[in-house]
Amino acid sequence: MTSTLEVGSGTLVAPWTDWARQTTSGRRLLEAGTYALTEGAIAAGCRVFAGYPITPATDIAEYMSKRLPQVGGYYVQCEDELAGMHACAGASLGGLKAMTATSGPGYTLMHDAYGWAVTNEIPLVVVDAMRVGPISGITGAPGQGEFYVARYCTHGGNFETIVLSPCSVQEAFWLTIDAFNLAERFRTPVTILTDQVVSDMWEDLFVPADSDALDFVVPRTSNLMMPFFPVGSADLDVAPNVIGRGTGVCVSAYTHTEEGYDIEEMEAQWAQTYRLVNKIRHHRAECTRYETLGLEDAEVIAVAYGANARTVKTGVVEARRRGVRAGFVRPITLWPFLDELYAADRHYVVCELNYDGQLVREVMRAAPDKAKVHFMGKSAELHTVAEVVAGLEGVIRTGRVPELPYIWTEVR
Amino acid sequence: MNKLAAKYLRPSQIPTKACHGCGIGMIENWLLQAIDELGLKQEDVIFGTGIGCVGRQTFATWGGDNFGATHGRALAVATGLKLAQPDKKYLIVVGDGDAASIGTSHLIHAARRNLGVTVICEDNMGYESTGGQFSPTTPAGYVTNSSPYGMAEPSFDPCDVVKAAGATFVAETTATQWHQTVKIVKKALGNDGFSFVHVRFPCNENFGAYALGTRDTLKNLEWIYEHTQGRKADGSESDFTWETGIKHDASNSRPEFSKIMRDVNARVQAEMAAKRG
Repeated sequence: MTSTLEVGSGTLVAPWTDWARQTTSGRRLLEAGTYALTEGAIAAGCRVFAGYPITPATDIAEYMSKRLPQVGGYYVQCEDELAGMHACAGASLGGLKAMTATSGPGYTLMHDAYGWAVTNEIPLVVVDAMRVGPISGITGAPGQGEFYVARYCTHGGNFETIVLSPCSVQEAFWLTIDAFNLAERFRTPVTILTDQVVSDMWEDLFVPADSDALDFVVPRTSNLMMPFFPVGSADLDVAPNVIGRGTGVCVSAYTHTEEGYDIEEMEAQWAQTYRLVNKIRHHRAECTRYETLGLEDAEVIAVAYGANARTVKTGVVEARRRGVRAGFVRPITLWPFLDELYAADRHYVVCELNYDGQLVREVMRAAPDKAKVHFMGKSAELHTVAEVVAGLEGVIRTGRVPELPYIWTEVR
Repeated sequence: MNKLAAKYLRPSQIPTKACHGCGIGMIENWLLQAIDELGLKQEDVIFGTGIGCVGRQTFATWGGDNFGATHGRALAVATGLKLAQPDKKYLIVVGDGDAASIGTSHLIHAARRNLGVTVICEDNMGYESTGGQFSPTTPAGYVTNSSPYGMAEPSFDPCDVVKAAGATFVAETTATQWHQTVKIVKKALGNDGFSFVHVRFPCNENFGAYALGTRDTLKNLEWIYEHTQGRKADGSESDFTWETGIKHDASNSRPEFSKIMRDVNARVQAEMAAKRG
């Protein structure tokens, strides 16, 4: 599923490098990230959007309300985000691909439905366009505060999640199709963790002419027989369950048997956990998407995702121009976490849009030497190229990120 | 197992874990009678429920397709499911916690949309699976394990709420009214829109024990019956009266939610076709 494209001296590992080569007939537009997320979903076969408007994801709802009736789909503006994601889960159980979109305050409300969809193995896609917080924060400013929230998107533990993050309008389009594909193959909700900048910015966008002809879209299939829940198995590509076809399927919030019956036994809990965790862990390679640049000779590697990766990458290119042996890693798959990207014993400078230090903690865990993992946290505004260059130069010359206004470096 | 249970339910899931004397099984049997009298088959009905006594004791008993939603969200799930499976009948069997407390906003908006489902709100007047705390339908003044000095808040009638929100069929009944309940459920299922049936039933272990002072099923049923009559067995007036029966019947008077959505699609696509010439 994953192909590789050399970009300058960089590498992009993602299935859409092939998709872009294959798909030549289409329209070139100047459009917003929200438009790309919407059209990507429609191209992937999404036919239900249920959600609640929230900045900066509102335009997805508006675009969906216009587009879905045109393609025989349904836009439901729900009473709240709880209803939105539950309605998506219901639609998906009925056999229709579904998506919802929100920002942090709504994503928090979805944790109830997220757990229900995880445990019942319901494919659907959730977009979280992150803004700076906590809570309402600044509605029109980017943040990256939900890195861990997206991983631990519901209570109770005993599950893995798939989380992807695009860095451009075009990538948002392809990545949305990819998210739907992964949701179908893994029978699980997939979060697209984007941000206010990618959502709101307008860029060059190619949209294929005929979305019905995209043979890389994983179609919806329906599981019409037992076992409804292959507990104890890590199998991929198990057809999702369907309600309304008379199979006698049972889905619920409880620990379940393979029939879907509620059960209060340790062995059953273990078998369900094995399924929910290992269907993803055993197939991590199917989820691996990332971009790198200059790793072959890098002494210091900048790490960033989402919109922030744009200025950070430019900072790396600028640092290299100045003679700093700098490299760049952009994880597109945030979860399951790609430990292998940090296997080399190098300095890492993790740039993210929060002062807590979230991504950096995982890089510290994965990298050979935690002392060589540095943090450049910023909030509500992308890192400037100058800040990134100063950070990379500082690490090479002095072993640490220099003091810079608005940049926090402490990880506690 | 009786004939109706054998026809519609799952032998492996019967009997449920319900307490001795619980009304949930009896009411489910009445639902089966209504389904049977309407000639519906297992595959015609999707059975949805929530959390609590009613959710736990009815989930997966239905022989057809089942879902047990998170607490309060059965109607939110049904809103999406109905779009994908519009031709099915939906029995949403939930308790007073699901319908009248944690999920009330979904109840109100499902009624407003005229979502084509029949909600059976089986109301045991408190949170009994967590040990007997008051709920928004516990009568004022009654003692529960979280109202040891008597329920201080006023209660509300969920029938009033859904009627105001636009439900097209609203009825109230109790676990003491077998034939009336069957008749009402049949009418509710005949409405291609949002139907709400409120059924009060006794909990012997908690509400009965703490609010009424007895775990005796018959005494608890008698307490409910007295409140449907406004009069106790000794002829004295009861402290309040529940008006049972059909409270609002506007069945099939306005379009069902998923039909509205399909009609929008048909109109939009016709306009697109006209533009293309």
